Amino acid sequence: MAANLPDNAGSHPGGYYWRYHFIVTMIEFQHVFKSYGRGRNILADINFCIEPGEFIFVSGPSGAGKSTLLKLIGGLEPPSRGSVHVNNHRIDKMPGRARPYLRRAVGVILQDTHLLYDRNAIENILLPLTVVGLESGQAATRARAAIEKVGLSGKEMLNPVEMSGGEQQRLAIARAIVNRPAILIADEPTASLDQDSARRIMDVFRDFNRVGVTTLIASHDVRLMALYATRTLHIDHSGRFSDAKGVA
Amino acid sequence: MRRWLRQHRYAAVAAVRRLLAHPFSSMANLLVIALTLAIPIIAASILVSAQPVVRQISVSPEITLFLTPAAAPDTAKAIADRVRGAHQPEIRSVRVVPRAQALAQLKADPTWADALAALPGNPLPDAVVVTLENGPGLAKLADTLAHQWKQWDHVDRVQLDSAWVQRLEAILRFLRIGLGLLALGVALVVLATVFNTVRMQALMQREEIGVARLVGATESFVRRPFLYLGALTGIVASLLAIVISAIALYPLNASLARLAQSYGTRVTLHLPDGLSLALATAVVAILAALSARWSVTRNTRF
Repeated sequence: MAANLPDNAGSHPGGYYWRYHFIVTMIEFQHVFKSYGRGRNILADINFCIEPGEFIFVSGPSGAGKSTLLKLIGGLEPPSRGSVHVNNHRIDKMPGRARPYLRRAVGVILQDTHLLYDRNAIENILLPLTVVGLESGQAATRARAAIEKVGLSGKEMLNPVEMSGGEQQRLAIARAIVNRPAILIADEPTASLDQDSARRIMDVFRDFNRVGVTTLIASHDVRLMALYATRTLHIDHSGRFSDAKGVA
Repeated sequence: MRRWLRQHRYAAVAAVRRLLAHPFSSMANLLVIALTLAIPIIAASILVSAQPVVRQISVSPEITLFLTPAAAPDTAKAIADRVRGAHQPEIRSVRVVPRAQALAQLKADPTWADALAALPGNPLPDAVVVTLENGPGLAKLADTLAHQWKQWDHVDRVQLDSAWVQRLEAILRFLRIGLGLLALGVALVVLATVFNTVRMQALMQREEIGVARLVGATESFVRRPFLYLGALTGIVASLLAIVISAIALYPLNASLARLAQSYGTRVTLHLPDGLSLALATAVVAILAALSARWSVTRNTRF
């Protein structure tokens, strides 16, 4: 754990408590349950910790609760029971009006890219910067940098509908990272892509992870996991949860 | 502060863009609201134009006692004194109009001058004009006094002049209440139309709203463009309503002028003053913005 601490962590007046809770743990689930209405628990008694800068796969069959787990991390939904800490915030106790500010620190990429087809690529990327009220010049610079990082230079003015599936996915990644989030979560980002496109997308994620962005990817592509996974959180059909180094 | 201003600028631009994105649909909505708003504006125009005309005429009842042509010249003064003495508290003023003065006044009117010139003498009687104090039961008191004075010697006829003005005042009061109710109805139409417009817009922008929330937009950020959309709709519709009303007053004025001419007077309908119109526009804009907020809150729950 100590290896992941930033150089200045020990100098913070909070001492050990700060180091343990505010630096070491980026995401922490404690006895988390999630159900919808009075239905069965989608997630039951989930416990894990994720340190800053980890690259993690969330695996499991369809309907096992991978997306739900990511939604809890992204603050898109509250847990039914238990505590969820993300980036120093306890989500289950967080008032609704504070959640948008948490979401700015978590880049979310969903399986359906949710790109806006009434505007071009660069305008799609500008939306998160408009939300935080960034000055237009700065916003344009950052948006261009983001589009370059995902390898879409020269396609700024294209409408997403004119892009391939892989390019649309990369555009969604650019939109997710343009606000410089501490955490990046992606739900089946390669599900509808061929192997080459999928690998290029995974390379983009790995590049962001290498500069310190904690990355979680939900996938059931075993080949990709074998290539990239350093840790895997697995949920099976019956809701059993396991946490393993490498591929689960 | 700059960040806040930037977000407001974004909201205003987004509202205009959304309004222009579907020009025909937006125009249809604006026309519905504008035509609805034009009704109370025209009604208000009629009221504000009628009020000065009514004000020119004494609302307090005037009772005119016409004396018999054979009455002696000082009879009118004696009757005026008797009226003053007998009913002091109810009377505001009493004045004597001698027949010569009445004739002179009538001759000053060119429409009467020729007719009077053809007559051999002065056909007009002496008159006593009594103005009553305003107060409760005025109409009944005026009737009683008119009836009582008609029995006096040398009094030929008693004319109660202002009963119709009282009725006109009552009609104007009725119209004012009617206008209030009409304004209430129009406010409800504006609320409902803007609510529905914003609901449709929110449904069309569902994807954008979802993405904005996904990337950390606050509820204020999501609602703001719709608030601007509502306010903008209210302002544009109000301005359109003022133009429609101004245009509608032209034919109304033309036909009213012919009617007024037949009564030998001039009445022109005009819009309420600029301040009132600006105030009405502001109220409509606020109402529309509130309706938009209500609609977007109800229809875009996260």
